[in-house]
Amino acid sequence: MTPAPSTKAPQDARTAAAKTLARVFAHNESLASLLPATLPSVAESERSFYQQLCYGSLRWFYQLNPLLSSLVPKPLKSKDSDIQAVLLIGLYQLLHSRVPDHAAIAATVEITKRLKKPWASKLVNGVLRNFQRQREQLFSEQKSNPSFISAHPKWLVNSITESWLNEASSVFDANNQQPPFSLRINPAYCSPTDYLLKLQTVNKDAKVTPFSDVGVTLAQACDVFTLPGFSEGSVSVQDEAAQLAASLLDLQPGQRVLDACCAPGGKTGHLLETQPQLGPIVALDLEQKRLTRVFENLTRLGQTDRVEVICGDAAEPSKWWDGVSFDRILLDAPCSATGVIRRHPDIKLLRKPADIDKLARLQLQILQALWPLLKPGGRLVYATCSVIPLENTRVIEQFITTQADCNEFRLDVTWGLEQTCGRQLLPQHGGNDGFYYAVLTKLDA
Amino acid sequence: MPILDILEFPDPRLRTVAKDVASVNDAIRTLIDDMFETMYAAPGVGLAATQINVHQRLMVIDTSEEQDQPLVFINPTVAALDEVLHEYEEGCLSVPGFYEPVSRPEHIRVTALDRNGDRFTLEPDGLLAVCIQHEIDHLNGKLFVDYVSPLKRNRIKKKLEKAHKHNA
Repeated sequence: MTPAPSTKAPQDARTAAAKTLARVFAHNESLASLLPATLPSVAESERSFYQQLCYGSLRWFYQLNPLLSSLVPKPLKSKDSDIQAVLLIGLYQLLHSRVPDHAAIAATVEITKRLKKPWASKLVNGVLRNFQRQREQLFSEQKSNPSFISAHPKWLVNSITESWLNEASSVFDANNQQPPFSLRINPAYCSPTDYLLKLQTVNKDAKVTPFSDVGVTLAQACDVFTLPGFSEGSVSVQDEAAQLAASLLDLQPGQRVLDACCAPGGKTGHLLETQPQLGPIVALDLEQKRLTRVFENLTRLGQTDRVEVICGDAAEPSKWWDGVSFDRILLDAPCSATGVIRRHPDIKLLRKPADIDKLARLQLQILQALWPLLKPGGRLVYATCSVIPLENTRVIEQFITTQADCNEFRLDVTWGLEQTCGRQLLPQHGGNDGFYYAVLTKLDA
Repeated sequence: MPILDILEFPDPRLRTVAKDVASVNDAIRTLIDDMFETMYAAPGVGLAATQINVHQRLMVIDTSEEQDQPLVFINPTVAALDEVLHEYEEGCLSVPGFYEPVSRPEHIRVTALDRNGDRFTLEPDGLLAVCIQHEIDHLNGKLFVDYVSPLKRNRIKKKLEKAHKHNA
């Protein structure tokens, strides 16, 4: 089968980006849902520039927006969030792209016509030209604004600064970089060092990851199908921090394992690669749609027969659990994703301070619901891609104090920062994402 | 891996009802690889064995944006989960250049064997659900043009016959 081609003329990158960003501003939609839906309508040669504009304008939003506020004569109406998007795209190009200034301004003014708002062309032109003239002064006005300097919302600046003190500025820096491109190599295929040799034969530069013993990081992102072993399922795209989960579970042959909140299934596949004689894995996720993605991933790895995929709510095991307890549980809990901001820069706008309390309550609730499913002597690994202690150390502390049969297993590892409970990885420039891990063991009855 | 020839409507061989794959062996796996290569090259998002003149119940699909999620269905069976219909503008590698809206059940459950002969079940939605039903139709000798009006179907048939004569 072939899907029908779009009957409309393909969009240019800037117009498409303006429409996408307007939906992020007006409806709090995420790039993860908007990009795949929009990409097919963008001209093929413009797609990577479209993505650069969307990611870049959001990555630097907390610098671009204050600059714009000083330049726009009167605030825009809420129905004109697309014009706000046009201005952001324009300013992003002037500050962060290689497009020559005059060309960037001319092409950005053009968008107003395609959005059928020609009245805004003068405004866009004026604002961008004024920026060129007043650049120095505008920057000096912002030089003591921490939100501007770090390009993060104020609440997140405060939260990260309070939690990580000296490390905070390197967290902000890492969050504003392009994410690294890391791979997990199935040990049955070859070692990471041997994989570097395979990569050399296709002229790709990479290095072995410092903490994961199955990882390599490429110098440049590339088409996954050009990677040796990718289509056979021997190689998967996964950040180094996420690769640490499997080793923490201490997997033994024949063990029954629950992978809770498993989508998109990256870690599920890793568990089977780490311990090929694992008993059946139960892979759980709340959304059927996300489970299709899990299934596709497991198919590529050739491991569908060893995983039982269940659609269910981790906080309500009574609705899906068959009563047979687990030797190991991996709980990759729903979280603020503040450790992977460089992969999802829209988090800076979409996440609100009130979300953190809600997530922390949900995380504790899921932990309490899954604990009875663990065998005495069993092990549970709690993981998040958050850098906010309220979702990490605080959740585990609270759980341990109320759960008599639970011990924290102290990790003897070189990665991350030791916390009162568990370990925190902060995002590293060119290195791992931000992640939190705690290992809990259940006392024998 | 060779790229295989795709039969085009109104070729009568497209009306053949395919037989079950008896055993999932290396020959079948080679065929699967060739079918994926043919499908990606076309380019298409799904290809049934019928379309390459192999009348066994086997089809390959990849509806992902990056075309990096290949799925294999051997001896598939499908059931609609409810009565909700979903309209989608379909095209077909065996009916090149024509696209028509077709209504099919939106929520389905499909069971099949994978390339290792292991049974699996999916409850897909969206394009994947449409594509699975479109390809299973091929295995039953059915084409998406069978769902459009006889007038339109005849026009498509005439145009393709003319094109085939022109290329012959």
